Amino acid sequence: MVSFAAEPIFRLGFFPVTNTVLDTLIVDGVLVGAAYYIKKNLKLIPGFFQNLSEFAIDTMYNLTESVAPGRAAKIFPYFATFLLFILLANWSGLVPGFGTIGFFEGEGANRTLVPLLRSTTTDLNTTLGLAIFSAVATHILSIRIIGIKQYLGRYFSLNPINQFIGFLEMISEITKVISLSFRLFGNIYAGEIVLGTISTLFAIALPLPFLLLEFIVGFVQALVFAMLTMAFMAILSTPHHEAKEVSHA
Amino acid sequence: MEILKTFGVDPILLVAQIINFIVILYILKKLLYKPVMDMLKKREDVIKEGLKQAEEGKLTLEKALEEEKKILKKAQDQSKKIVDNANEQASAVSKEIEENARKQADKILEEAKRQIEQEAKDTEKRLSENVTNLSIDILRKSISELFGEKEQKALVEKAIRNITKKK
Repeated sequence: MVSFAAEPIFRLGFFPVTNTVLDTLIVDGVLVGAAYYIKKNLKLIPGFFQNLSEFAIDTMYNLTESVAPGRAAKIFPYFATFLLFILLANWSGLVPGFGTIGFFEGEGANRTLVPLLRSTTTDLNTTLGLAIFSAVATHILSIRIIGIKQYLGRYFSLNPINQFIGFLEMISEITKVISLSFRLFGNIYAGEIVLGTISTLFAIALPLPFLLLEFIVGFVQALVFAMLTMAFMAILSTPHHEAKEVSHA
Repeated sequence: MEILKTFGVDPILLVAQIINFIVILYILKKLLYKPVMDMLKKREDVIKEGLKQAEEGKLTLEKALEEEKKILKKAQDQSKKIVDNANEQASAVSKEIEENARKQADKILEEAKRQIEQEAKDTEKRLSENVTNLSIDILRKSISELFGEKEQKALVEKAIRNITKKK
């Protein structure tokens, strides 16, 4: 059975290179490689691949624009990168060989397989890192767009009732990070466990529907993480008076 | 914090993942989003420009067609005017010629009439003279035997007077 923590494959000085770190590097490589390929082959009259990437980026941009009108240019890169990175990370765990090729550790009953590669979103380090970065980026964006005064006004007030709301806001900011990270981690990790279990029960044909399910779950979870980040950014970057107008409308 | 250890959270890995994501975000922004968005914008501009040019071309064509129609109409009008003018002129000229001819003919006719009249008069005069002379001769011959020279003379003179008086 796969452990919660990612297994270190080797150490680079003080840095433990785990199987999820290796997967992260693979996902990075694919993303950067694809981006480089697209940029290099960018033409005014697009080919199939360029059409596809343009469609994807345009769709994501329009989605951002519809959620946060006027601020899409700032929010869009975060949304798109979260979506692409998490999507590839989630799906990377479904590639044959991931989680199955590795080496054995331990003796007798403790003998377990340590996979060389493991989807990076099954590591809480990754999902927590993403969630923390999402929160920090959201707050920085908020300060840059609506200004420090309005930003602080959300959490601190001389009015006791508003101060209480501000206190709740502060807690919600912390829970956002926890919910984002554990939702992603839990879903993908559980998916891997299910796949592993089903595969040990019956290796042929039976895992196929689950693979398809995990394929969809991987997409949905990436979308959920990215959309939530986008929504948080849109909410926190909306000036106070504008938010009221919106609620009245 | 115990739970974090259970889940294998390692500050080093956590920071590494955050840095990794920031780097990826930066690279994708530079390498993917910006060029693709720029390209989309550029294409939009090109298409807009093309459509605008097509519209302009259409307008120009329409204008040219209108101009062509105008010019054709003008030319037609002008040619009609020229033909009309020519017709008018020709009819005027022909009328004039006709008039001249008629006048000349009239003149000639009159001249001829006058000449004929003159001739007739002359002829008449000559005839009367001849008749007079003849009658005098006849008279002279006929009376030469009847009357003497004196009487003859007086008679002839009287006859001549009578004849000339008659005349």
